[in-house]
Amino acid sequence: MASSLVVKLGNLIFKNPVLTASGTFGYGLEYKKYMDLNKLGGFIVKGLSVKEKLGNKPPRIVETPCGMLNAIGLQNIGVDRFIEEKLPKLENLNTHVIANIYGSEVSEFVEIAEKLDKEPKISAIEVNVSCPNVSAGGALFGKDPDMVFVLTASIKKVFSRPVIVKLTPNVEDIAFIAQAAEKGGADAVSLINTITGMVIDTKTKKPLLANKTGGLSGPAIYPVGVRMVYEVYEKVKIPIIGVGGIYSSDIALQYIMAGATLIQVGTANFIDPAISLEILKGIGEYLESEGIESISKLIGIAHAD
Amino acid sequence: MRLKIVQNEQIAKDTFVLKVDNPGLFEVLPGQFFMVKINDYPFPLLRRPFSVAGFSDTIDFIYRVVGEGTRILTTKEKGEFIDILGPLGNGFSINSTKKLLLVGGGIGVAPLLYLKSVIESEYKIRCDAYFGFNSKDEIFTDDGNIATMDGSAGFKGNVVEMVEDKLNSDVLVYACGPTLMLRRLAFLCFEANCSMQVSLESRMACGIGVCLGCVVQTADNRYKKVCVDGPVFDFEEIQWQAL
Repeated sequence: MASSLVVKLGNLIFKNPVLTASGTFGYGLEYKKYMDLNKLGGFIVKGLSVKEKLGNKPPRIVETPCGMLNAIGLQNIGVDRFIEEKLPKLENLNTHVIANIYGSEVSEFVEIAEKLDKEPKISAIEVNVSCPNVSAGGALFGKDPDMVFVLTASIKKVFSRPVIVKLTPNVEDIAFIAQAAEKGGADAVSLINTITGMVIDTKTKKPLLANKTGGLSGPAIYPVGVRMVYEVYEKVKIPIIGVGGIYSSDIALQYIMAGATLIQVGTANFIDPAISLEILKGIGEYLESEGIESISKLIGIAHAD
Repeated sequence: MRLKIVQNEQIAKDTFVLKVDNPGLFEVLPGQFFMVKINDYPFPLLRRPFSVAGFSDTIDFIYRVVGEGTRILTTKEKGEFIDILGPLGNGFSINSTKKLLLVGGGIGVAPLLYLKSVIESEYKIRCDAYFGFNSKDEIFTDDGNIATMDGSAGFKGNVVEMVEDKLNSDVLVYACGPTLMLRRLAFLCFEANCSMQVSLESRMACGIGVCLGCVVQTADNRYKKVCVDGPVFDFEEIQWQAL
């Protein structure tokens, strides 16, 4: 008998723990050509703001050893156009669609959450308090535990399904911030978002990105993510969604063993559009080969004495 | 697609041709590109976008060694397999009512070679090609009029100077090359009321319209994605001073 890959987040049931990360999966539709979206546990759409955002000036990305630095600046079409143009095309999918939301103040987050609450196809929202590439909101919110508490509690009042808070690693004690989210009523936390970095162009002698700094993602950051999931697992009771540099089932399993209930595949989607399904397959094969009947047995197993 | 390498050889200074088996693709338009994976994970991480320089029994790319990724690519040998994703992007559109002029610079000549072969073999029309290189040792084609910056072969100077007096409203220019060259050419095309389709290069991670890394600023102060809205643009769409 095949091992069970089913996991739960609040009252949501996921057929498997593999999600794709916001900002690396467009509005889902872009990947239809490359994979069967229904095989995913779910996917998280590009961060949505109240109004359309054009994003930062180019250059916006640069490759680094085993990673990349980006400063896109949350370019998106805005929540209204998402609901009108994209969501109808996602209606018939048999997988969870999670909306990532962003605002420069609490009222903007609340406005988006209210709108999405009326859309039953949206299974959950992921609150982005961790984007390093915008001047207002973003990681500034995510570094302040009081702000994370207030924001989470405010969104919980208007959104009736699970609220996930996506945390920034650019803080001294990420578990402290995760606790603030839990206290505010968060149903789960996602960690980590990108790590702030910089690349200098030695020809021009200036930072290469137009935004100067960007967010580091890709395999280079996975040990940081695994460590943070491990730390947070010991301090909160709500589920953790592990993200950061996952490009193989082995790394996905490390996140799960550190304490993640679900995982998100991010930058690796850029290189191999169907890699999340490869990772899912590898997780299943691991469970079979180890004789483990359910993925739930593995969550946080690295903490055992 | 994992495809077999048929050829990977140096053809000029720091310049290589990579030919892979054509898996039976129905069509690849001139100007379209593929994302080539250099290695297995995780280094180099990102695929490299290469435009198509020829398409028949093989899909041909001409690439210049600029960094670690392309240096590693030079070590791949005939018979090995390589993972490519595509064809991607929009490609040039061919208008046979105008006099066609191809203007390329450096490695930007590569997609124009495929365009030239399609124009001549499928549309049976003549086009004039002008290709610029820094010096003789960088030249990888004899299929056009050549300019070199140092005068070691052909016309001495920038390829744009070579075509300046040929630009007028009856002409359609197809161009690809370094930003400075394209910007100068765009300025001259505006002045001469000449049409131009230009293939742009940009740093990109995905090639399929998701990462939003490759955008260019358009004349109306918005952004377009080089990977899916381009890489070929009408030159009037682009905000050249922002490049």
